[in-house]
Amino acid sequence: MDKDLVRQSLSYHGPTLLSLLRCEQHEHAGFKQLLGDLSKWPQYRKERNVNNVEIQHFIARKADLLFSLSWKSNTPENADSLEPSQGYSAVMPPLEQFMDVPNEEKKELFFRDVERGDVVIGKISSIRDFGFFVVLLAMGSGILRDITTLEINALCPVRDVPSQSSHGDPLSYYQIGDPIQAAVKDIDRYHEKLTLSLHKSALPTHMSSVKLGVITTDDMPDYYKQSAAMSVSNVNNYEAALRQSLAFSNPSTVESLLGKLGLSESNPPSLIRGLQRENFSDQDFAASLRKKQSSSWALKCVKLGVDYFKVGRHVDAMNEYNKALEIDAQNVEALVARGALYATKGSLNKAIHDFEVALENCPTHRNARKYLCQTLVERGGQLEEEDKLLNAESYYSKALTIDKTFTEAEEALNKLRLCKQKSLGKREKPDEKTNEKKIETSAEKLRKLLKEEKRKRKRRQRSSSSSSSSSDTSCSSDSSSYSNKKHKKKRQKRNSESSSQSKKYTSSAHTHKDSYSPPADTSASFLSHKSDVKTVLEESGRAACRRRASNESARYRSLSSSSLEIVESYGGRSEDSRDSYSSEKTQASTSKTCSEDKCTNSKSSRRVSTDSYFKNTKNRYDSSNQFQGQRYSNRKSESGSAERLSRSKNSRSLPLDLPHIQSTNQLENEKPHNGNTSVSKDLPGNLLNILSQIAEFEKEKGSRQQK
Amino acid sequence: MNATSSVSSPDEEKLKKHFKVTRFIMEAGVKLGMRSIPIATACTIYHKFFNEICFDDYDPYLVAMSAIYLAGKVEEQHLRTRDIINVCHRYLNPGSEPLEVDSKFWELRDSIVQCELLMLRLLNFRVSFQHPHKFLLHYLLSLKNWMNRHSWDRSPIATASWALLRDSYHSDLCLRYEAQHIAVAVLYFALQCYGVEVPSTDSAENQWWQVFSVDVTKIIINNVISDLIHVYTLDTEIL
Repeated sequence: MDKDLVRQSLSYHGPTLLSLLRCEQHEHAGFKQLLGDLSKWPQYRKERNVNNVEIQHFIARKADLLFSLSWKSNTPENADSLEPSQGYSAVMPPLEQFMDVPNEEKKELFFRDVERGDVVIGKISSIRDFGFFVVLLAMGSGILRDITTLEINALCPVRDVPSQSSHGDPLSYYQIGDPIQAAVKDIDRYHEKLTLSLHKSALPTHMSSVKLGVITTDDMPDYYKQSAAMSVSNVNNYEAALRQSLAFSNPSTVESLLGKLGLSESNPPSLIRGLQRENFSDQDFAASLRKKQSSSWALKCVKLGVDYFKVGRHVDAMNEYNKALEIDAQNVEALVARGALYATKGSLNKAIHDFEVALENCPTHRNARKYLCQTLVERGGQLEEEDKLLNAESYYSKALTIDKTFTEAEEALNKLRLCKQKSLGKREKPDEKTNEKKIETSAEKLRKLLKEEKRKRKRRQRSSSSSSSSSDTSCSSDSSSYSNKKHKKKRQKRNSESSSQSKKYTSSAHTHKDSYSPPADTSASFLSHKSDVKTVLEESGRAACRRRASNESARYRSLSSSSLEIVESYGGRSEDSRDSYSSEKTQASTSKTCSEDKCTNSKSSRRVSTDSYFKNTKNRYDSSNQFQGQRYSNRKSESGSAERLSRSKNSRSLPLDLPHIQSTNQLENEKPHNGNTSVSKDLPGNLLNILSQIAEFEKEKGSRQQK
Repeated sequence: MNATSSVSSPDEEKLKKHFKVTRFIMEAGVKLGMRSIPIATACTIYHKFFNEICFDDYDPYLVAMSAIYLAGKVEEQHLRTRDIINVCHRYLNPGSEPLEVDSKFWELRDSIVQCELLMLRLLNFRVSFQHPHKFLLHYLLSLKNWMNRHSWDRSPIATASWALLRDSYHSDLCLRYEAQHIAVAVLYFALQCYGVEVPSTDSAENQWWQVFSVDVTKIIINNVISDLIHVYTLDTEIL
């Protein structure tokens, strides 16, 4: 309890309050202490209002709160600073102006309350040798009073006027009528005399920024302006002036004023016993409750996530962990769990980050520490493999700083250091080292190249096989749809004709490639080139004659391969016009070999062969159908694969395209024949028969046309 | 202005009940970090609501929670329903763990929002009030400049009057008196408590309280003070 306050209140309320206090506060330890002192001051002022018995009872009951020291300490002394209050709270004319206090009393109270260091504002009234006199107009700090009409004179001696230039009288700078802001240096309360100073040293430290000296009328304090304005206008009551002020409706008025008066919103005062801040547990506040709730909510999510993780639903688990961290970003369990998930997924850096954050929030978390060490060592190992020894070392040492007993890290670190020392030792003999390195790198390069090549080859094989299979099926479906004999015949005819036509081009000159590249429909192209057919056929016949003497086995081989070509070209042509050129080419070769084999002839064999072939491909059919669907969806890759396909076809049919080097081709063909026995086995005599059939048809037609 | 109505026993019961619930609002407000003005608005909404309606028809604590929520909106201090629920739940079930965020929680939240709508309609959407706080603070500042610095610093007049004003919302004082009158009365009461006299009250033409509010009378001030004191007697009775 504040002794002075109690005394002040007691002297106001009289002895009745003391007796009331005695009976109400007898349990209060602080009051008992005071009581001894209080009885020594029996001097009471006048007995006042009788009606305040109720108030006295109240004071007595609440004395422990009213006179508590904590309340008094609430009043800070920062309100004196001259911060621009304009806009945040209404600046009112002084109270005494409304109260109509007589001037003598105002003056008396001013000299009672003014203090050293206060800032005053006045006008210079006269200048003498020893200084100048100022008539005060307003206060710049401290008590903002209405002193304009009081005609208070104050002296500012020469020694308190700073010289404006290096020479001359400092007073010459000032003129009568200048508004001056100065600090109060000395007060003679009895004689009502003030001494001012223009030196900054006269100001209290917290006001040292205030400018002393001549000011402009704009620098006059706001309350003075308000007061002046009010005396002019007819607004003469406090409330009206208050409501007129714009700042009164500023939403932050209350906050600003609370700060000025030293009141706190975070610890609001109350005289209700149940509302004393000390009685509230910190745990009951919104923030801590929310934190608690969030962490338990997050833990629930983590548990769910762990369950998912155990089942192997890693995505669901990650979602739960992320949700948990969204609810409670600092949740250690969620961080550790997510880190573990990252680690198992191989994102070691992310895992390390999570573990580190977890450890930051909870440095004693054992799992976080353990996992972090393990992940760090693992990451270090990775880096070591990548030959980033320095980084690896830092990871190992980090793991060690976190857990000194983590032997794994220590071992790895030692090993790494040994390794480094070795390499450092090597560096001393630079030639050897660089040589070694060169060799190593070249060897590595070679290995890499080889690996790459292997990979490429694999890929090519895969793509070609898939595309060929698809073309196979397209062929088989074609053949099945053309089960009708007549159709087949026509088709065969067309094939042979178009191929023979294109053969001419290929055999005559490869340089004209461009001009016939894209006939998508060969029959159409045939029609347009009808006139050429004759010569084409003749040529084909000549070529066939030339080849008649060729080896039987070679022929067999070429036939089988070219039949395959037909099969493939069907698919290729039907899908992409780009392939047409290559397919034409292959067809040309086919027709040539076919014409070569005029004698063999069996009309119905083709059907049989296609049937059998169909059987072969039947089991592939479903899958390749699917594949075709995919092919249409991404044409780009398809065309690429088709190109590759045509390339491979070209290479295979190349020797047949060039009849004049037949002899060498034969020799070359011997070898692949043995190697490709599986191909020839797959395509037995039936196919040979088909081709011979085609050849025969062609021959027939050719003879007809010749007629 | 029937300030001190005849205090019958059922009325007294009602006052006690309201005191309890408004104290709950205050406590929740402190724990939620609410400023004084939103708390005052919440209490005013609460008192206004039960002025219009029979006390037994609604759960006062739910009304109080909705009043807090609504006051946060009116006075532009954002409050999250989750915090309100947590704090109030903790108050009503001391020492309990915070509610789990499940369907029960969401139902509770819905009921608060529904109750808020009901209150708005019942109060005809007039939920913005002129509080005495602003007036009191300006009065305090004016008075401070007129008083002797040391006697001002010696007595925590600002703190006491602020506490009295906040505590006044435990009853429906805010509905029965004008904001300026309450502010003046509270200031007067605080000065009385510390035995502080405003200088030259005797010689001046107008008393300081007459300056602050033209139409306030000594009778009104005394009525407000005695009502306030009655609030504090409830405090001791309930404890």
